[in-house]
Amino acid sequence: MRRSTSSSTAKNNIYLVIGVIILITLFCCSLFVGKFPLSLSKILEGDELQTNIFWTLRFSRTLVGLLGGFSLGIAGFVYQTIFRNPLASPDIIGVSSGASAGAAFGILFFSGTVSVTLSSFGGALISVILAILFSRLDRSDRKSTIILAGIAVHSLAQTFLMILKTMADPEKELASIEYWIMGSLNGVNSHAISINLILCLVCLAVLFMMHRQTLLLSQDEAEARLLGVNVSKMRFVILIISTLVVSSVVSLTGLISFVGLLAPHISRRLTGDNTKKTMFFTGITGGIILLLADMLARSVAQTELPVSIFTSLIGAPFLVFLIFRRRDKI
Amino acid sequence: MSLIKIENICAGYGEDNIIENISFDINAGEMVGILGANGSGKSTLEKAVCNVLTHDGNVTIDGLVIEELKVPRVANIISYIPQRSGIGIDISVLDVVMMGFNPKLGFLENPDQTMKKQALDVIERLGLADKSDSNFMQLSEGQKQLVIIARALVSDAKLLVMDEPESALDFSIRYKIMKILREWISCGSRSGLIILHDIMLALNNCDRLILLKDKNIIETVDLHNDSIENMETKLRMIYGDISLVKTTSKKGIDSYSMIYDSEGV
Repeated sequence: MRRSTSSSTAKNNIYLVIGVIILITLFCCSLFVGKFPLSLSKILEGDELQTNIFWTLRFSRTLVGLLGGFSLGIAGFVYQTIFRNPLASPDIIGVSSGASAGAAFGILFFSGTVSVTLSSFGGALISVILAILFSRLDRSDRKSTIILAGIAVHSLAQTFLMILKTMADPEKELASIEYWIMGSLNGVNSHAISINLILCLVCLAVLFMMHRQTLLLSQDEAEARLLGVNVSKMRFVILIISTLVVSSVVSLTGLISFVGLLAPHISRRLTGDNTKKTMFFTGITGGIILLLADMLARSVAQTELPVSIFTSLIGAPFLVFLIFRRRDKI
Repeated sequence: MSLIKIENICAGYGEDNIIENISFDINAGEMVGILGANGSGKSTLEKAVCNVLTHDGNVTIDGLVIEELKVPRVANIISYIPQRSGIGIDISVLDVVMMGFNPKLGFLENPDQTMKKQALDVIERLGLADKSDSNFMQLSEGQKQLVIIARALVSDAKLLVMDEPESALDFSIRYKIMKILREWISCGSRSGLIILHDIMLALNNCDRLILLKDKNIIETVDLHNDSIENMETKLRMIYGDISLVKTTSKKGIDSYSMIYDSEGV
């Protein structure tokens, strides 16, 4: 009996170690990929230009790629568990669109990174609340309701975004807004990221601490309630924290599609469970996807491409696959 | 001694009540079955007793009014076995069973080694020792139900509320599980409220049966004191033309059987 425990634990540990090795390797490679060639020896020798580019641009960008992918993966893991739907992820239920619309609002009417992050969080929060409210209009308790509600919220956020774009100065704010919509790690620099990273790390730590509560929400409401879970309050708290994670990333990177959908499925497929270790592995997988996509975005064409092109290239077919393969659970 | 007092419960969905003014007591160590036709309000009554459905009236357990308690406190007193669990994620059997300890744990506290050992003991007792690390989602419906029963047993609540817990189980396992549930209820001065799919199982494992019809309790069958004729008369109010017979197995165990008397059936 115990053999199966130790063998599955050992297997999952191997996946985790391999994942961490791939992530570290990609992190190191990402530091040296880009239009301006960096050389490790020159950085070590103290070349001012090289050192400056390394720390201000490349390191920050790579760090945001790693942490952004990690965070979107974890947010997807949490959304899929508490909405009990394999399609639930920040972009599918409209949270990312809401965060982008919020960020655009922040660009137009406020100034500074903190304001844009807060505005982005506001947009994400309104989206998640709207998605929940819309899904409650259908009392049938179908799992697909939250996805349909998410599509409606996504459309609303897009409409709001279009209105904001018509109000934006074409030479200044409109370009920034377009940047959010396309999603890229291009504009990330060391001055802008500290508050977002701290916020993101604190929220991630809380989500890991609340892993057991998250799993308890993966069952029927009455069942969870009779296991001592105050379902509405707990779901709301976990959603707020995971939404804060998404908005702290999206306010830096813009809309990045499908990482939150792909990462939990890949990691669960490999480990076959939803333990805290699998949750961590989901973050690692998300980090790998985003770092890889960002490296491709920087290197496959003469000009830099939006990172979502590459995440969507894998994500969109996978979404279609999920709809057909797991339609009973959607 | 009466452990649980259910007084004037009215409940339903929307504006119409499905059950009205339901009152009865459950004694310590007693298993009470709820019988009734489809739509008679059996599950509604159980949900009201568990306080997961808005209702009028009161449920008092060991002097505590359930409606006045917070969610975790209620879960410490009442344990629930649904007809089918709504768990929809890949999770190990052991982790599902350990969810039963949640009402006893602090917000960010995790189950300790003693709880883990206790969970493994219950899993073994229910015949799932080789499944403790298996994925819950890949078990048969019957095995899933056994895991949910194990989860209810580790919670150590005063009242065990069950909604057709045996409907997915094989014939032989049904009787084994009912024996385990009965023992669990008797040994710890606990009580059980159960809806059973199998009427024979109800007749042979409950102490009392509450018969629901037209939103109310129309009769109560005392399986220890009522005569067989009296029981038969009461059960006919729900099941129509039936006969109740008492049989003895080769090992000398007495049990009741219900036979449908109408022609052409």
